[in-house]
Amino acid sequence: MAEKKSFFVWMQSLDRRWIYLVVALAIIIPLLIPYNSDNVTTPPTENVYQMVDSFAGREDRAVLLSFYHDASVMPELYPMQIAIIRHCFERNIKVFFLSFLPTGAPIIDMAINTVKEEYPNIKSGVDYCNFGYIPSALIVPTVIGMGDNIATAVPTDAEGRKTENLPIMKGITNYNEMNLVIEFSGSTAGAYWLIYARPKFGTNIAVGVTAVMAADEYPYLQTGQYIGLLCGLKGAAEYEKLVDVFAAYRTPGEPLQPYIDENGNKIVPGRAFSKDILKQPEIKDLIKITTQTEAKFTPEEFELFLKSCPEKDQPLLQIAKQTVEGNIIIDVSKLDQDQLSPITWDTLNRLTRNTQYKFKVARVGMNAQSVAHIIMIIFIILGNIGYFLQKAQTTKK
Amino acid sequence: MKKTVPLLIVIIGGVIWLAWVFVPHRIIQDVFYYDFYLPWARAMAPFAMLLGVISLSMMHYGKIKRRVPKWQYSFFFFAGFIVTSLAGFIGGTQKGGLYMWIFENMQMPMSATMFSLLAFYMASAAYKAFRARSPEATVLLVAAIIVMLAQVPFGVKISKYIPDISQWILDVPNLASKRGILLGVGLGSVATALKIMLGIERSYLGGD
Amino acid sequence: MSFELFSNLVGAFFTLCIFSFLYKDNPFYQMSEQLLVGISLGYSLVLTYERVFIPYFYQPIFLKHEWILIIPSIIGLFYLFRFSSKLSWLSRYPIAFSMMSVGASVALAMHTSILVQMRQAMVPIENINLALIFIGTITVLLYFFFSKAHTGVYGQFVNIGKWFMMVGFGASFGLTVMARISLLIGRIQFLVNDVFLALKQAFFG
Repeated sequence: MAEKKSFFVWMQSLDRRWIYLVVALAIIIPLLIPYNSDNVTTPPTENVYQMVDSFAGREDRAVLLSFYHDASVMPELYPMQIAIIRHCFERNIKVFFLSFLPTGAPIIDMAINTVKEEYPNIKSGVDYCNFGYIPSALIVPTVIGMGDNIATAVPTDAEGRKTENLPIMKGITNYNEMNLVIEFSGSTAGAYWLIYARPKFGTNIAVGVTAVMAADEYPYLQTGQYIGLLCGLKGAAEYEKLVDVFAAYRTPGEPLQPYIDENGNKIVPGRAFSKDILKQPEIKDLIKITTQTEAKFTPEEFELFLKSCPEKDQPLLQIAKQTVEGNIIIDVSKLDQDQLSPITWDTLNRLTRNTQYKFKVARVGMNAQSVAHIIMIIFIILGNIGYFLQKAQTTKK
Repeated sequence: MKKTVPLLIVIIGGVIWLAWVFVPHRIIQDVFYYDFYLPWARAMAPFAMLLGVISLSMMHYGKIKRRVPKWQYSFFFFAGFIVTSLAGFIGGTQKGGLYMWIFENMQMPMSATMFSLLAFYMASAAYKAFRARSPEATVLLVAAIIVMLAQVPFGVKISKYIPDISQWILDVPNLASKRGILLGVGLGSVATALKIMLGIERSYLGGD
Repeated sequence: MSFELFSNLVGAFFTLCIFSFLYKDNPFYQMSEQLLVGISLGYSLVLTYERVFIPYFYQPIFLKHEWILIIPSIIGLFYLFRFSSKLSWLSRYPIAFSMMSVGASVALAMHTSILVQMRQAMVPIENINLALIFIGTITVLLYFFFSKAHTGVYGQFVNIGKWFMMVGFGASFGLTVMARISLLIGRIQFLVNDVFLALKQAFFG
């Protein structure tokens, strides 16, 4: 007992630098050794996803992303920005960007360029428009002015082009069409939109905030002033999962890009949100963060996939396929990219359900977060045990 | 003159701004707001920046002149400021230039790292200071632990109810307390704004 | 070594300089701290010049000849008189001009922070959660009303607000821990992926 007590007394006086070392290791090790885990999605994130997704393929709807933060909070906000931009590019949703802080403008450029690398068909001025930095002296006139006419409130975009001449503005006039504003902030999120845009124009507002601010935003969530909330790295991980499960999901034979069917309707690939799909155990295969190289098909799916590929690729795919337990598997790491046409290569990689690192940063981070949280809880418990034992000892004396 | 005129500006301007919220007439919305207030506010705005530049520069110059402890590091302040400013004014602010390179590879990593130090301090504080000394502190601790567990995938493995309990904590007691505080803060800020508008609160004008 | 790797190494160097403070205060940290302040100020100055001074001062006055704007420019210059002991009263004028908009916040803050929140707190109490939210909101508000002593039955009622606040602060603490650790994870991800693994790739293939 005396030995135990002196152990806890020693623990109480532990140099804080040992604590720092344990915290650092608790984060470095999970990042070096990735493992698969599931982030349970919550209603605030799901509501944001559903509202963004409801604009899929529509010419008369758009989302505005407002980057109201600087680089210091990027680890929490940048992954959710990437996930939302990816969602918009996957589901053919028009997206606008602006920042009322000078430090936000380069972050917008970085985010767009990071996602655009994977979507060569996405064009500036057609699928997205970056308004760039708008000085804070102009926040109120811009927020109010966009309620009447966006092209008048923001005459030029970040590249100096006249907003009214851009193809993206076809069908978009004001908040009636650009009906959702998502503001990302590490401090006062959504304040100007809440005060000026929502009461006057009925704009839907959602916020992506650091976890520090999230608890303070719940009153606005409950009143409906915010339609949804993305809470820090967890919110980003949840959104990444939803994009992988729904927006980026492709079935064999389905084109990767939007297309017009025989009735003249625009078909946007991916699938709509459904809570039932989230409960299915099969979605675990869609959200793995370890590298996936094998595309799995049932025999019927493989036939559909073959039909969608150019004829010259079909013999190669027949040679590369392996049959395991009645399913057909193609390992892309054993194929030569140069021998296949780009469309087949892209489709095959999509069907491996492998996610690029930049689109799973939050989920990789959440693994480290798990370990770090457990360590923090252990610290709190150990500290309290030591404190109470010391207190008991002092009382006895 | 020294205090009366600024006070009158705030009082009369405050009343016109209050009218701006409710009155859709052209004189307030267009003439006052778009033709007068906005261009004047925009023309005044850049000079506030100069205040910060001069203030910091004077502080560091004073440190060098008086040779206070660690005065040598003030040279790094001037080096960073002068090099970045010159890079921006001469080289331009486009991506690929020295100005943006300095911002992306020096300012961004350093400011992000400054904030990330807080994680270590938080761990140290949790270990050394977070004690369940009273029933209230215990409730705080338990709520914190449940919310912390629910945020990570590991929490759902401990118990499938943890995410639901955490969501309830955030949706009900947290919401109630934050709403009460928000109402109090809102009432306070409206009262302060009214006091400023009526000239009762004058601390923003500074001393005599 | 590619330019991108070199840039990441520069970022990593300054990151480690700041992290070195965790061991103890040292010259590298002091240097980085002052550099950060200087660079941030220089960055904001150039952007303010380009995005505010040129389009809203230089162009309207010297190119479009809106000479009336010389008046607010002179008032803006009064900010600098803050440093003079005799003429510091002049700096009150630009401050007063920017404080004018407080009139709008009387009405708008009333609407956003108070009226909408109150309306939502007064919905029909259909289930236990709404009842708890209603009681919690009232008791927390009353807890900060110090004109009446918190004694007797009233004191016990108001004490319920304290428990609600403890749970609320506990939730805030839990989320704050997550936020701080996320920031650290971001930095470590940069050091591990963009620097350590990239160096490994560059030199060892």
